[in-house]
Amino acid sequence: MSTASVTPAWEAVQRRRVIPQRWRNPIGIAGAVIVGFCILTALFGRFIWTLDPNAPVSDRLLGPSAAHPFGTDDLGRDTLARVIHGAQVSLQVGAVAISIALVAGTLIGLLAGYRGGVVDLMLMRVVDILFAFPGIVLAIVIAGLLGANRRNAMIAIGVIIVPAFARVVRAAVLEVMGFPFIESARALGGGGLRIMVRHLIPNIIAPLIVLTTVYFSTAILSEATLSFLGLGTQPPEAAWGNMLATSRSYIDQSIWMSIFPGLAIMIVVMGFNFLGDGLRDVLDPRVGGGVGDVVTKKIE
Amino acid sequence: MAATLVTVSIVIFLGVRLLPGNVIDIMFGGDATATPEAKAAAMKQLGLDGSYVSQYWRWVSGIFQGDMGNSLLSNRPISDIIKTALPITLELIILGLLIAVVIGIPLGVISAVKRNSASDYLSRIGGLIGISIPNFWLATLLLVFFSRVFHWVPPLSYVSFFEDPVQNLQEFFMPAISISVFTLAIVMRMVRATMLDVLNLDYVRTARAKGVPRRKVLRNHALRNALIPVVTVVGFEVGVLIGGAAIVEIIFGLPGVGYTLLNAISNRDYPVIQTATLIIAAVFVVANMAVDLIYGFLDPRISVS
Repeated sequence: MSTASVTPAWEAVQRRRVIPQRWRNPIGIAGAVIVGFCILTALFGRFIWTLDPNAPVSDRLLGPSAAHPFGTDDLGRDTLARVIHGAQVSLQVGAVAISIALVAGTLIGLLAGYRGGVVDLMLMRVVDILFAFPGIVLAIVIAGLLGANRRNAMIAIGVIIVPAFARVVRAAVLEVMGFPFIESARALGGGGLRIMVRHLIPNIIAPLIVLTTVYFSTAILSEATLSFLGLGTQPPEAAWGNMLATSRSYIDQSIWMSIFPGLAIMIVVMGFNFLGDGLRDVLDPRVGGGVGDVVTKKIE
Repeated sequence: MAATLVTVSIVIFLGVRLLPGNVIDIMFGGDATATPEAKAAAMKQLGLDGSYVSQYWRWVSGIFQGDMGNSLLSNRPISDIIKTALPITLELIILGLLIAVVIGIPLGVISAVKRNSASDYLSRIGGLIGISIPNFWLATLLLVFFSRVFHWVPPLSYVSFFEDPVQNLQEFFMPAISISVFTLAIVMRMVRATMLDVLNLDYVRTARAKGVPRRKVLRNHALRNALIPVVTVVGFEVGVLIGGAAIVEIIFGLPGVGYTLLNAISNRDYPVIQTATLIIAAVFVVANMAVDLIYGFLDPRISVS
């Protein structure tokens, strides 16, 4: 109704403004390229580099060579094949963890922002408690208590990201609630659910996209940390974190084992950070409302 | 602050109890010979007998009386464990923060003042790497670098700063650098951004127009105001540093709170897990409180309520 007449015009304005700006954002593009490459590697890498990540294929602890570009590990397994498998693990854990945070955080934020009052107070209290723990410590405790495996690592990482989503969604909802179209939707008899689904959610998509990208890097870093500590993906399955953990025992013999998985983590995390920064510039410069965003905005 | 800590303690308390799997069953594992009496005794020793309310009360009042129970693993009093572990973690956090602030602020200022110069680009790229590099990998790389290039590895047994400052700092500088890099990058980016904002404000131009020397304007007028948002960020960063400390403590074998917590987790040492988590949350909450106070001091318009 009211939105139907507003949306096309608004989109036209956005499109005119957005496209050139998007292409003038080299960091965002670099991020998109890195992230795209990583996703392709995770999806198709094993068909191109067909060595088995779990079978000994050569001598132990070799340096990089044509046959094994990333060298081999302590059991003679091909490090490149293991790094490729690690990409699959990282993205899978990241995607599941982010989905948990996205769904739970959006629900909490929507309810808190829309209902206000006691509901808001109680939900935000819970969120504040989660904020009282340093994220990674909370993840370590949750994953450790639930039991060390990949599924529990996903849950733990999801939980530590929920509060960030809840807060941003709540703030965005409060802002949208102030617009007259919400009032008119209500005057036309729109119920709570209808207003949330038809009017609130479409208007908070932009911050959600940015948050998802930015926190994907947090999720990947957390997954690597948990695996490194033995609380995530368990060996012999390859994950970047547990590969680095194993490499520590062989530092004196081969430094290559500790180089490539770490590089992979750094590059992917950087990719998501870049992409998040770029998307933020394009979609919504005000996301998050925290001072940190001023930084990324200014840094271009 | 007190209210937050109370709720946090309740959450930890319930979290440890409501998790799937009975603690006692896990403790006795598949031990079929365990008698119900032995289990009941273990429950009592764990403080798991009685209602939740009385258990919680015993735990919290115990903490205030310095009696946090004993570790299941070593049977040492938890208060002793915390007493040796906490200073290590605090020293790491303080050193990390110090490195981040002492290097990050000047880099940010230089970056902002010499905008788009080579040094600006260098520190910005460095900043982007800094927020992406995993601290445990950096720690490993530092160890490799020092052992390969300088044939030097840090001393293995921990000594406190007050016993032997030199050896203590030898042990702490690598872990401190590893955890500080992320925070350093954030501080640098933050200072650069706020300085760029502040440098364009009228009062800075006024000060320059009045003939105040450039350096003095930067220090007294611009930086002071640019630091306010930085302080907030540092509050958040304490959480990052605590998390980082927990991880590098394990890599460098420093028996701090994080090391203790991880050990306790892998041994299912519930009383220690409970208390160590609470201590970490407390450090974080207190640090944020301190940040609020500093905030009020830097900007008198903000009152601490």
